[in-house]
Amino acid sequence: MTHPRTSPIALFSMAAFLWFASAALAAEQQPVHQRIDSLLAASHPQFASFAASRCSDSEFHRRIHLDLVGRIPSAKETREFLDDDTSTKRETLIDRLLADPRHARRMQYVFDEMLMARMPATNVPDAEWRNYLRQSFLANKPWNQLVLEILSADGADPQLRPAARFYLDRNFDVDLLTRDIGRVFLGVDLECAQCHDHPAIDTYLQQHYYGINAFLSRSYLFTNPKNKQKQLGEKAEGDVKFTSVFTQESSQTNPRMLDLPEIPDPSESAKQYLVKPDKKSRGVPTYSRRLKLGQAMIAADNIDFRRNIVNRLWAIMLGRGLVEPLDVRHEQNPPSHPAVLELLAEEFLQHNYDIRWMLKQLALTEAYQRSSYAAEEHRETAAKNFAVGLLKPQSPEQLAWSIMQATGAADAALATKEAALLKSDPKFGAGRTTHPLWREEALHDALKANVDQFALKFAGQNGQTTSFGATANQALFLMNGPLVDRWLLPGSNNLTDRLKKQTEPTALADELYLSVLCRKPTVAEVAEVTEYFQTVGDRDAGIQEFVWALLSSAEFRFNH
Amino acid sequence: MRRDTGCNAIDHAISRRAMLAGSAAATAVGVAGKVLPAETKQLATQQKRILQVFLQGGVSQLESWDPKPGTRYGGPFRAIDTSVPGIRISELLPHIAQRMHHLSIVRSINIKTNSHQQGHVFMERGRRAGVFPYIGTVAAKYLAPKTASLPGFMHITTRGLNDNTNAFLPAEFAQLKLPGAAAPENLKHSGKLTADAAKRRNELRRRLSQRFSGKVGQPAFTDSYDSSYTLADKLLAKKGLFEGDPPPKELERYGSHPFGRNCIVARKLLEAGSTCVKVTHHGYDTHAENFNFHLEQLAEFDKTFCMLLDDLHDSGMLESTLVLIMSEFGRTPKINQRYGRDHWGTAWSMALGGCGIKPGAVVGMTNEEGTAVAEREVDGRHLFHTYFRALGLDTTDHHDIPGRAIPIGDPTGEAIGELLA
Repeated sequence: MTHPRTSPIALFSMAAFLWFASAALAAEQQPVHQRIDSLLAASHPQFASFAASRCSDSEFHRRIHLDLVGRIPSAKETREFLDDDTSTKRETLIDRLLADPRHARRMQYVFDEMLMARMPATNVPDAEWRNYLRQSFLANKPWNQLVLEILSADGADPQLRPAARFYLDRNFDVDLLTRDIGRVFLGVDLECAQCHDHPAIDTYLQQHYYGINAFLSRSYLFTNPKNKQKQLGEKAEGDVKFTSVFTQESSQTNPRMLDLPEIPDPSESAKQYLVKPDKKSRGVPTYSRRLKLGQAMIAADNIDFRRNIVNRLWAIMLGRGLVEPLDVRHEQNPPSHPAVLELLAEEFLQHNYDIRWMLKQLALTEAYQRSSYAAEEHRETAAKNFAVGLLKPQSPEQLAWSIMQATGAADAALATKEAALLKSDPKFGAGRTTHPLWREEALHDALKANVDQFALKFAGQNGQTTSFGATANQALFLMNGPLVDRWLLPGSNNLTDRLKKQTEPTALADELYLSVLCRKPTVAEVAEVTEYFQTVGDRDAGIQEFVWALLSSAEFRFNH
Repeated sequence: MRRDTGCNAIDHAISRRAMLAGSAAATAVGVAGKVLPAETKQLATQQKRILQVFLQGGVSQLESWDPKPGTRYGGPFRAIDTSVPGIRISELLPHIAQRMHHLSIVRSINIKTNSHQQGHVFMERGRRAGVFPYIGTVAAKYLAPKTASLPGFMHITTRGLNDNTNAFLPAEFAQLKLPGAAAPENLKHSGKLTADAAKRRNELRRRLSQRFSGKVGQPAFTDSYDSSYTLADKLLAKKGLFEGDPPPKELERYGSHPFGRNCIVARKLLEAGSTCVKVTHHGYDTHAENFNFHLEQLAEFDKTFCMLLDDLHDSGMLESTLVLIMSEFGRTPKINQRYGRDHWGTAWSMALGGCGIKPGAVVGMTNEEGTAVAEREVDGRHLFHTYFRALGLDTTDHHDIPGRAIPIGDPTGEAIGELLA
């Protein structure tokens, strides 16, 4: 049997088909970070002409440390990275930092600010809440699970009591909660829609506001008479009605997530309780509207939940949200790169809301790894298109840890902790001090009070925007405050002490620049250091002044 | 979207005419410092400013600006005549009564909230909801000359949270908090740094920063950072303002209590060129013993405030200084079981005067027992428009923020025309 002869044209078209199919398949299977870059590049016809070049190793090394472990690297770490010839060293570093316990601490800071906006702890102690967050990030708890826990916590279950801080420390003010749930978890600020459909924004409707409100309106703050703890109770009835202050039209809604369908109450369970509400016990209805909130929030059809978080993770890494401000997504303020936002949202779902996976993909993009230096004529266009590294102001916590890292205050504190442990536990102490988690926790405990001082002075916009502003009080704190001043005094092998002992000018300038700015100085900068010491006359004083000037410079203040 | 707010067309027309005649120079400051060249000079010589006295906790309107003696909720105090025939205020404000011709009263505020926080930010931002800049920030942004020798918005307070006062405006216009009459924190170096060394290393900092800023070209961030040091330098240059005890004669006039000292500093700051000085007088949240507390608190406020008012008047500054006496809300007419009055945003008062404000006027009224606004209801929106219209700023203009244009005053409200001089 002979095969029928296949015409060359047919062969060609089959080959072409296979080629197209495999190309399409390849695009599908391309790593997400490459697909992000392709989308960014495709969003502007001249993208390649204005995109900044790949950042240097020292830029990358400093940037990735600040973003993933919340502080600048040490001079030693920078030297090792610069000397490493491995072609995959950037990816290796990303993986290492994501697995570092300091990453969980960094995420704790970021999400604490995002979720609680630095409001005072009234019902749940700060330390318990922060520990809950940090443990969650140490375990890389998926975002949907974390949010489900937070939105389902009632304060009565001891294990999840810290998670109830979101509700309890807002005193279960339903209006405040409605607004913050919209902003923090959905990226929409519905505040104006409390009283009327938004006058200027067609997509913010009163029904959206009251749809979220209806999940919570039956619940109330209950004081447990036994331990005086605030907990949440809930009634089995009560409907949400609202009237526009403009049109006087009234409506009613069941719980609903923005434009998703209303969630009807099951009819048979109406007005029934597992525990009837009275003075001694918090009400627990057979059907809880409040418990539906977490489920509706993380349901796969609620795509706004994913858009919000990927936009926030993007802003953390890239310096500006695809939607900016982060909590104001609506028709008139659309994402700058909608296809990127949709890709991230979809892939985040495919990867089970894995935050570390997402951060890694973002860190691997060319967009993330571009230099902050763009040619002057392209700056504006490049900045709009994520084609240049954007400045990121260091958060109060990043700034505190970075200054303590640079001056050697962190190393000194850790050394003291290590010595104490060796003394109290001569047998196993030495082993325990090498454990990364022990080191992170010991260091944090030793220096937490300093971090708190920075938070008081430098906290600003509370995580809803990547904008930046500096105040005179902050400058005075760095200029005259006792903390920074103390860290500049030479002692126990700290930075100014090491510099003091270094007599060779180039080596001194190297150590100075690598420790503070995480890069080697240029030839001109080496000369500038030497010249400055000559002007001052007193070399030791000159060293302290120079370190201060570098710490207070814009190059230090920003992550770039 | 404009809504009827009860501000009729005639009021509007009058105020517009008054504004054109009286404060043309400042009108031009509309958006982001767009000043007409011919008027720039005039603006510099006629800097306008705000003295904001914040009676924290919610002063009782019945024990101050809107007394109702002899009525069900009137309380024990009498009303007294003032220097303006026909205006009577509480006997707890005898010094102000003699100076009533410098001030006007709004008796018809209804902000529809009884929360300290919400009331405070509504009165400051002129917006019921959302994060907008405070009065002092707006003043600092649009009224302060570039050459001002002090930060534009300074707040003297012994307590209080770290408010986000500047919202979307640059942080250089945020409030600078002064802890009472004491100097701001860290005004003195904690170690041994000499003045020369401080200057030298700061020069080095500036040089290093400029090199970096020039390369990255993101001035929105780097300029703000640099300006924080400039503001700090201005404060350092004026640290004499906070040093030494005031002369005994001044303490005798103002009172040697913290509020007296704070008001002396406030005057010094205004004289030294600050654009908005806010002084907070704490302790009006009188859920219990309302009458005893007001007797005590207002005695302190009345005398001290009047000394400050006199000094501004005598130095000729009052004409260019808008004076605001405000609270986050008033107090309930109903007296509770502990002789207290509770939170009350429904029908209360404030007083204002000075720059651009018609003196000796009363706007609005409450009903006989003070349980509701009877006439000319206003809220934080109208007041905010009024303050800045009085200062010559067009509040229908916009903040020019990258990518956004945000109306300076809430577009759903308008100035109280009859208050504008």
